[in-house]
Amino acid sequence: MNRVRATVRSRAGAAALLALAISLPSACSAGGPPSIVGEQSLRIGVKADQPGLGLRLPDGRFVGFDVDVARYVAAKLGVRPDHITFVPVTSATRETALENGSVDMVFATYSIIPKRETKVTFGGPYYVAHQDTMVRRDETAIQNVHDLKGKRLCAVAGSDSWKRVTQELNIAAKLVPATSYSDCVTMLLDHKVDAVSTDDLILAGFAAREGSAVRIVNAPFSDERYGIGLKKGDLAACEAVNRAVTAMYLDGTAAALLHKWFGKTGLQLDTYVPQFEGCG
Amino acid sequence: MLATATPPALHRRPRKRSPAAPIRRLGLQTTPGRIRALAAIAVLAIAGFYIVANIAIGNARDGLRVIGHDAGPQVLATGDLYFALSDMDSQVANILLAGREHNLGTRQQALNRYSQDRATADRAAMQAAELSANNPIDQATVRSVLDRLGQYELLASRAMVLNEQANHPAGPPPANVIAIYRQATDLMKLELLPPAYNLTLEGGATVREAYVAKRAAVLSSRLWVALAGLAAIAALVGLQLFVAVRFRRLVNPALALATLGLIVLSPAAVRLLSGEAAQLQAAKVGGFDSILTMSRARAISNSLHADESRFLLDPGLADTYSLGYLDKSQTVLYVPSGNLSEYYTGLSAAMKAYRANPRTVSFVGFYGEEARAYPGPAVAAVLSRFQQFQADDQRVRRLAEAGDTRQATMLLTGRTAGSSGYDFDQYDKAVVSLIGLHRETFDQAIRTGDRELGRSILGNWAAVLPLAALGAVILVGVGVRARLKEYR
Repeated sequence: MNRVRATVRSRAGAAALLALAISLPSACSAGGPPSIVGEQSLRIGVKADQPGLGLRLPDGRFVGFDVDVARYVAAKLGVRPDHITFVPVTSATRETALENGSVDMVFATYSIIPKRETKVTFGGPYYVAHQDTMVRRDETAIQNVHDLKGKRLCAVAGSDSWKRVTQELNIAAKLVPATSYSDCVTMLLDHKVDAVSTDDLILAGFAAREGSAVRIVNAPFSDERYGIGLKKGDLAACEAVNRAVTAMYLDGTAAALLHKWFGKTGLQLDTYVPQFEGCG
Repeated sequence: MLATATPPALHRRPRKRSPAAPIRRLGLQTTPGRIRALAAIAVLAIAGFYIVANIAIGNARDGLRVIGHDAGPQVLATGDLYFALSDMDSQVANILLAGREHNLGTRQQALNRYSQDRATADRAAMQAAELSANNPIDQATVRSVLDRLGQYELLASRAMVLNEQANHPAGPPPANVIAIYRQATDLMKLELLPPAYNLTLEGGATVREAYVAKRAAVLSSRLWVALAGLAAIAALVGLQLFVAVRFRRLVNPALALATLGLIVLSPAAVRLLSGEAAQLQAAKVGGFDSILTMSRARAISNSLHADESRFLLDPGLADTYSLGYLDKSQTVLYVPSGNLSEYYTGLSAAMKAYRANPRTVSFVGFYGEEARAYPGPAVAAVLSRFQQFQADDQRVRRLAEAGDTRQATMLLTGRTAGSSGYDFDQYDKAVVSLIGLHRETFDQAIRTGDRELGRSILGNWAAVLPLAALGAVILVGVGVRARLKEYR
């Protein structure tokens, strides 16, 4: 009689297995496009030469606000810290790196602008910075962005900051090409350009490093929404990183990180969840 | 019924085909033992069919609930909330711009709309809070929006009182008014609008996830339901045949009835699941996706319209508001353009090509998606109204550039035909009616899905399925019992 029961149980077990087989597709969200959600390890593109945001130290480690936010978001995606590989990207290489798959995500002062959204899916923004202008300390003629007319302005390849000035606001500054913002700062100090105009967070990092040699004019004129660059169409990842960013603000991590990296700069730091761009 | 004591062995098989020990112990070498075993298999197969079908129908029900009754309506409610909040700030800006020139007729209208918006915001927030009853974080978010709204109203009324006292002509108010308005609009922009918009997006994400998971589950479970149904039918037929051969009877009526029941039930269940998957698709792809996209377009449009007012109101931040206006315009309808004047030109060219042939959608962004997916008069109306509104914006900015802020203000805040305010309202109405069209598709699909789940040939599936399964099991028992009695 016990055997009969055992047989019945094993058949019931088979029925349960069958039932499980049916419910399995829902458990692993089958049917969606490929996504980085569920990956054990991630390659994350960050800047290597922007103090305060993404900076590679001589020992090869990456540090900065973007790097810390990337770690937090990756952890929320279930990726262990030692399974993150940081990959240096520049303003000019961010789209390509995502498109050719050499990085999975980009946290690199990557402003969400409609033109880029044709190539990249943006999670976030995880912060909204504002474009401002940095000059040498002794420069008095430049008080706001309109004073850049006729001045030499640093133009970083792949960055949109200089376009905000010369194209969008139609201010006739003379553009001097550069490859990165650290280049620009060097050129500013060497009198090869008169101004560097980009996001206040980037400028604040350099200002802290250069001390009294430079000055930020403190006339912000745009909202720069720092997005999390993802491969175009990875909606599952976009939704997951948005939830991670929400959690980062709600649990106080965002405020702590902002104060850790920019607390001494005197910038007004916003500690509310930003309005997301949306994934679709 | 299954675990009864082994009956005395009557028909012994020849020794040489002796079954293995466990089978012998089950009594399978005897006819009643075999009947019991076959009956047990049939009962298990029926139970299996019930479980499989129940899970599959449960998936369909879950999908409909999330998309049609929870997250879907949540998207609409939070979309309304965003719009009402954003419009409040827009109306405050218009009131401040109008100054003492009440005769523009706009001030009272703006005040009325401000209080209407406030009521709408309350209503939408209540609805959103109800819909997120099982999500404490969302609920807390909605509550915090309402708390902050009180603070916003205080700042807004202070700005309006100071503005009244300043008694300035139409155009930018004095610095003290602007300073208070900046506080109000910052509060709106940083603490009120983002949570409302993010709730809309989160609703969209929930719907997408539920759709992908539940539709795939419903579709793949059709195969399992069919197989489980076939297995049950096969088991019943097997039992029937065994009984017929052994007892030389033609038909066992009880077993035949049970078999017939499953022959009717299994394909009906598979058909139901196909229908549910189709309704989920219709609701999500034909209705919801566009509702979400157009709700976002509506929200961003209101915000860019407000940026136009704020551009005039706060000359100190005019650049920020102009750049914001361009970014938002490009989000809604993208044509390659480095600045606003290029945008106006690009938009005109794109619209000209579109009017010549509505298949030429040379633009992307929210309206690009919509125009490609659902060409028709509704989207064409939205596009032409949008173009008209942008043309007005160009005129407003030209006047402002020429220093005629009074004319610019009148054009911007007017509510009569030919003014920017009027054209914006027409544009917004066109968007609302486009949303309404998709809403009909959505509601229809959800209603059909609910109705099909709620009724089968015999009644509600939730009731029919267990009753039918139980009935079949009882029929097996009845059919077998009479035969087993012959061995007592």
